[in-house]
Amino acid sequence: ALSSASAASGTAFYEQGKIRISCAVYGPRQGRRSNARAGSFDCDFRYAPFACSWKRRSHVRGADEKEISLILEHAVAPAIRLEAYPKACIDAFVTVIESDGKAATIAAAINCISAALADAGIEMYDSVAACSMGLAGARWVADCAQPEEDAALCSMLIAYMPGADEITYILQHGKTTPEQTDQAVQTCTDMCARVYAVICRYLQSSLE
Amino acid sequence: MAGSVAFAIEAFKRIHPVEFERRFLSQGTRHDGRAPGQFRALSVAKGTISTAHGSSTVRLGNTTVVCGIKAEVCEPDVKTPDEGYLVTNVDLSPMCSARFRAGPPGESAQVASEHLARLFAGGVVDLRELCIESGQAAWVLSADIVCLRHDGNIIDAAVVALMAALENLAVPAAAVESGVVSADRTKGRRLTLRRRLFPATFTLVDDTCVVADADDAEEQLATAAVLVVVDARGRLANVWKRGAGAVGRQAIAQCL
Repeated sequence: ALSSASAASGTAFYEQGKIRISCAVYGPRQGRRSNARAGSFDCDFRYAPFACSWKRRSHVRGADEKEISLILEHAVAPAIRLEAYPKACIDAFVTVIESDGKAATIAAAINCISAALADAGIEMYDSVAACSMGLAGARWVADCAQPEEDAALCSMLIAYMPGADEITYILQHGKTTPEQTDQAVQTCTDMCARVYAVICRYLQSSLE
Repeated sequence: MAGSVAFAIEAFKRIHPVEFERRFLSQGTRHDGRAPGQFRALSVAKGTISTAHGSSTVRLGNTTVVCGIKAEVCEPDVKTPDEGYLVTNVDLSPMCSARFRAGPPGESAQVASEHLARLFAGGVVDLRELCIESGQAAWVLSADIVCLRHDGNIIDAAVVALMAALENLAVPAAAVESGVVSADRTKGRRLTLRRRLFPATFTLVDDTCVVADADDAEEQLATAAVLVVVDARGRLANVWKRGAGAVGRQAIAQCL
């Protein structure tokens, strides 16, 4: 769901099955380096303490939260027209309220940031849609939930811009053969296009 | 014509927020059309987070707050071997408002956490129900309140959220075998809540007017706020004044 907030430039609340993620985008606002020719995009990712099905997380930023922050930055930054915002910085704050499968949560976070950036009116080349898959036996299964992910041999995360037909981020964990990876990339990009259609529909309906 | 009027109002609100509010308050109303004593619509949903043992989502106007409670096993305090713990934490992140910074909890979050902890320590939950085995193991309930959108009056929303999450909480059935605690999440039991708390915050705006349930724009101009908490039987549980302004005795009587 999208909403116009009083404080943040753009916000989005994304639900995908049991995954619930909230994102707020601030910007463009004054950047840290005054001589930068292009804007900078920073992402801050965190889990709420009750978000994961295992132990409660502490408030100190874990290393995996920092890693995921970087993944989100690298996945979404290529879509933003940063050269249109010199000396400015765009900040995205993502909080996972409920998580279900790590790769699926990261994919959902990327979708959420795309929606929030569009809500904020930031100039972008295209929206980024992301999708995750897991290898169960010999078949690729889309959007694994936590128990499925624990049982999977390999997981794949792809962030894709359907309009430009470009993959902005690809991450694979586990063992596969090159043919399986190839097949996964194909299927994943098709699914990203479908997620992209959903995001676009929402953006259009929110304008009316 | 209508467009330029709307723009002028928006500009006036930004440039002279105090004057903007005064125009309304002097007429006995508020900028969103409420009466000074009127609260915003409150909606509570319980059991919204499946990963937490107890949860609730509360919407107070535009302020949205999620409370999740997770139960973990720990050793009880030596002085109170039959009791568990209830730890509350309020989380105000940059996501809900530009006023807060990323990183460790800021001052307002810590103050809110402290106050909530004291409020709920006063006999809402019987801590002895959290005991698994006397002196050996007990449950610690970590209640985390995450603010998703901040439009004023976080404390009221947080109290309601925590109350609802405690009502929703199902503590897993636990058994101790030779020093190892095994818990079964599918068999949960509810806690008996001895008191139900209902909060109300009254804010002194601009030294003159007392309004109930201030939203963000009004909170910015507030000099002081008084929180009154009553329980189901109408008895007073807590009165707390915060803010640097002085509140007259008449105003306090009005709140009560």
